[in-house]
Amino acid sequence: MKFAYYPGCSARSTCAELNEATHLVAKRLGLDLVQLESATCTGARELRAIDPAGFYALNVRILALAESHGLPLMTICNTCTLNVLDAHAAFVSDPELAKSVNARLAGENLHYSGRTRISHFLWVLHEEIGEQRLSQQVVNPLAGLSVAAFYGCHITRPPAHYGFVDSRNNRALERLAEILGCQPIEYSGRTECCGFHTAAHDERIAIKLTGKQVLAAKTGGATTMVTPCPLCHTVLDSFQAEMEKDIKQKLQMPVLHLPQLVGLALGLSPEQLKIDRHMVPAGVLDRYAAAASNAPK
Amino acid sequence: MLPPGDAPAPVLASIDARRLGQLEQHDTLAARNSRLRPGDLLTLKVRRSEVAAGSDIYQEFEVPYQKWMRLLDALNWIAENAAPDLAFRWFCGSKMCGTCAVRMNGREVLACWEAVEPNMVIEPLRNLPVIRDLIVDRTRYEERVASLEPWIERPKPYAEFPEPLTHKQMKNASQALDCISCMCCYSACPVIGLGNLTDFAGPAPLVQLGQTALDPRNDPGKVRRSIELTGIFNCVSCYKCEEVCPAHIPIVSGVIEPLKAKAAQLAPEMARHSFALRDIVARRGRLDPGELVLRVQGLQGLRNLRRIWRLLARGKINPFKTLLGIKTSAAGAAGRLLNGAGKS
Repeated sequence: MKFAYYPGCSARSTCAELNEATHLVAKRLGLDLVQLESATCTGARELRAIDPAGFYALNVRILALAESHGLPLMTICNTCTLNVLDAHAAFVSDPELAKSVNARLAGENLHYSGRTRISHFLWVLHEEIGEQRLSQQVVNPLAGLSVAAFYGCHITRPPAHYGFVDSRNNRALERLAEILGCQPIEYSGRTECCGFHTAAHDERIAIKLTGKQVLAAKTGGATTMVTPCPLCHTVLDSFQAEMEKDIKQKLQMPVLHLPQLVGLALGLSPEQLKIDRHMVPAGVLDRYAAAASNAPK
Repeated sequence: MLPPGDAPAPVLASIDARRLGQLEQHDTLAARNSRLRPGDLLTLKVRRSEVAAGSDIYQEFEVPYQKWMRLLDALNWIAENAAPDLAFRWFCGSKMCGTCAVRMNGREVLACWEAVEPNMVIEPLRNLPVIRDLIVDRTRYEERVASLEPWIERPKPYAEFPEPLTHKQMKNASQALDCISCMCCYSACPVIGLGNLTDFAGPAPLVQLGQTALDPRNDPGKVRRSIELTGIFNCVSCYKCEEVCPAHIPIVSGVIEPLKAKAAQLAPEMARHSFALRDIVARRGRLDPGELVLRVQGLQGLRNLRRIWRLLARGKINPFKTLLGIKTSAAGAAGRLLNGAGKS
């Protein structure tokens, strides 16, 4: 199984450990990833508002790069995923837009025909690897590890892309956690917003929005949180000290990137998965790591 | 309830991971309507404001299900048979007047347009003061909308008559005109939930403003003055407003983002964060978060030295890359596409 792989900006900078973990886990799962080195930022939330033409050009270019390899596109960031999904939807429904974007890409000999399949790593695990094969690969079931899934927004809303009447009904992360042997918990924060997109100009929004959710995860009995989005991770992990100050309570809640949780169950060590690169220490997870002698080579 | 065998088992050709959970959680209208049969007892826990002295309580009611029963029918059944003093608003009963919005199991719905569920917790909308039971005071919203002066000003004489105006030009404004002011989005918005932390007007007032501010005939100066009062860049883009909108208005992509585009055009200082991001991507291909924070917050971005030290220690920021403006392998393409014809 081969994918054109788009890590996005976070996984190449503040969350570099996510990119490394994704490559390690993909290798173990037999996923062949062709990383799109010349792919640009998708423009986060900002570009799509102030420069729609630029937004479509950057995102359709990413889809065209995947098409030039003849491969489906795999993403690991919620916001990037929604951006390419939105650009793709606009491209296929507006022939005028399609023509103008392709004209701008022609200088690079790139062309998008509207056929690239877009899949977040979470969906690849469910759809391409599948429950059965994935559970066969779990050499280190994470029995007893209680996990609070934090979906974030752009992997379960807007309804136009995901079709939920109520986005809280998404169970993709919980079902995955169960395959890995974990115990997913129910809590109020599952599909709440982390506030990342306003954090560059006002962190207080993110801190206020997430503090109560991390606390809910903790009081719900979670040992760790897991998220499919590096932007959520940045807020939940890097701002946790500020959340503690704001709610005047200790949280000390480790937050894992999705591939890191999968990697632990596949027998990779916390060191290999760079779990020590997080701001909140995750030593509590060491006892769930595969014993060195059992770990597959 | 239907025994499991009665309903045809839904079949999925292959797993659609984007919708995992939808079937088991009855997250479709068909699934919800097939769970109940006439005579089944529904349980409603309704939040009352004046039953116990000074404290909110949830009062439980059992209501017999009738075919195609809506939440409004269940509330009316309670008012007629169990609690004549239960306060709730409704008028048209057909998704037009926008007065019957409440929260059902933590989700904003129109009582007149929502199928009942076997177990329901019914609460008033959030983010507005409760007058009694399920009735909220809409004054805060109405005052905010009025302060935005959501009307059209035409200081110059009309160019010609009839005026040249296309569907495409009017698309966003006319989507906003579908709003029935039900306040579902206002209740669902997490930033409004933070109270006075920001000056964000919230989704409902922005939709009201969008009806005229996104009309190309409106005076740009008038539009600028209105948008400057909205705190629109405090929208976190969570799409909760879009999810609950009974009129299916694409509030984020069809109203808030086009209003942000107007702000970027007419009051660029409001969009400093967006312009900084665009400029960094155009120059370097990918986003350097350190540079974005420094450019948006200035020296303020350096005030939390403890966090900066921790970020440095974990290798999460790289000041050399940031300060030297190191380009990435995507810089060439980004520069071509963002500095070319698409500049707006």
